[in-house]
Amino acid sequence: MAELRALVAVKRVIDYAVKIRVKPDKTGVVTDGVKHSMNPFCEIAVEEAVRLKEKKLVKEVIAVSCGPAQCQETIRTALAMGADRGIHVEVPPAEAERLGPLQVAQVLAKLAEKEKVDLVLLGKQAIDDDCNQTGQMTAGFLDWPQGTFASQVTLEGDKLKVEREIDGGLETLRLKLPAVVTTDLRLNEPRYATLPNIMKAKKKKIEVIKPGDLGVDLTSKLSVISVEDPPQRTAGVKVETTEDLVAKLKEIGRI
Amino acid sequence: MALSLGWKAPRNGCGLLLQAMRSSGLLLFPCGRCPWRGAGSFLDPEIKAFLEENTEITSSGSLTPEIQLRLLTPRCKFWWERADLWPHSDPYWAIYWPGGQALSRYLLDNPDVVRGKSVLDLGSGCGATAIAAKMSGASRILANDIDPIAGMAITLNCELNRLNPFPILIQNILNLEQDKWDLVVLGDMFYDENLADSLHQWLKKCFWTYRTRVLIGDPGRPQFSGHSIQHHLHKVVEYSLLEPTRQENSGLTTSTVWDFQP
Repeated sequence: MAELRALVAVKRVIDYAVKIRVKPDKTGVVTDGVKHSMNPFCEIAVEEAVRLKEKKLVKEVIAVSCGPAQCQETIRTALAMGADRGIHVEVPPAEAERLGPLQVAQVLAKLAEKEKVDLVLLGKQAIDDDCNQTGQMTAGFLDWPQGTFASQVTLEGDKLKVEREIDGGLETLRLKLPAVVTTDLRLNEPRYATLPNIMKAKKKKIEVIKPGDLGVDLTSKLSVISVEDPPQRTAGVKVETTEDLVAKLKEIGRI
Repeated sequence: MALSLGWKAPRNGCGLLLQAMRSSGLLLFPCGRCPWRGAGSFLDPEIKAFLEENTEITSSGSLTPEIQLRLLTPRCKFWWERADLWPHSDPYWAIYWPGGQALSRYLLDNPDVVRGKSVLDLGSGCGATAIAAKMSGASRILANDIDPIAGMAITLNCELNRLNPFPILIQNILNLEQDKWDLVVLGDMFYDENLADSLHQWLKKCFWTYRTRVLIGDPGRPQFSGHSIQHHLHKVVEYSLLEPTRQENSGLTTSTVWDFQP
């Protein structure tokens, strides 16, 4: 029964615990020598794919990442969590800075077709740019149904039941496969890659390809003008009584 | 070069041995008749204690229940612990890889292949295949691994199987002058394209210079199946892997012994 194959896209981002520093020239943030790890929502996507495989609903999990050489570390982490093999779409460091959802979505769409997968899983957004676009664009390019912000994913025959967290509450969709799903926080708790699995991941294959091999042009129509720190928060004023508060508010013209 | 002297060293040449150990890489030569008794004395007591505490003696779940090995199992702390807390280099030796399992099984079942012969186990890891060769009557054995901790694990594994520890070479043998071997065995060594290329060249040289027999054990890793070495391989035997090994090596179900004939 398990003939389904899944493609999971993972992104290497600055680790969530690191204090971000803006570069003095305001072209971006400092990344040199800074700890990087797999985007937390991508970890959730990998975990979901591996659980589907453990339930024998998915036969093969392919992990893919776009970017410079260091992406392979992130792919290895996915392999250590249980993905079967990896694909590294290699992009030189200078170009990688200009990679955005549109370009990545094109790559993923081409790969999904090439690898003939039934399911593309991604994190809902990356914690560095917070775009929340790649999954949706990928589905658009593929013309596949999408279930975003998934908090539960259940396979029902050739359909996927996806429970989504939306502003109004929970929405349940039933998608025909093949489909794209993006993962939200409450979908699962990702496993740690343990030592034996890390060792075994070292012998799994990572294929390296170029975007050109997929016929994808990475030109971006966006350019970053400046990156700045948010304005410093100014000190507040403490008042003793409610009368004082009302007086103060009148003083600054708020009431 | 200290390496070739190593396992042919005269029994009273222990001074030479110490010199060799100090100058070139770690050459452990457990010398039965030396003042140092067996290889146990060469083991750093701290690391020995660490190995004994963090591995389990096991012989089940593999193709060779006759061989006891100290491996990482679910009953070990580091099976579950955060990987970044492991204080040493990547413990390839702590897993009995399927490629090595097939080779060991083949040597145990076919002692003629090694009886009275000199055997090099390249990338020995836990040492299982070298141990299998010893059990089947090989006259000379050298276990080679670049990880000194693997060397210590191999020594412990020899003792577990009541064998006199054999020589262990801790250096990248691909950079050294080749020695004459009757048989070279490689278990699960073709998982990386660059390493596979280097090994291929080295093995060709070995074959053409000394007519060495080369046996490779591999569970069908894509990096191996897609490598040009395939043109020169003859299948010897294929074994079905046991369930625990299959589960641990997702997607792999059998492991094959290949004869390299360039």
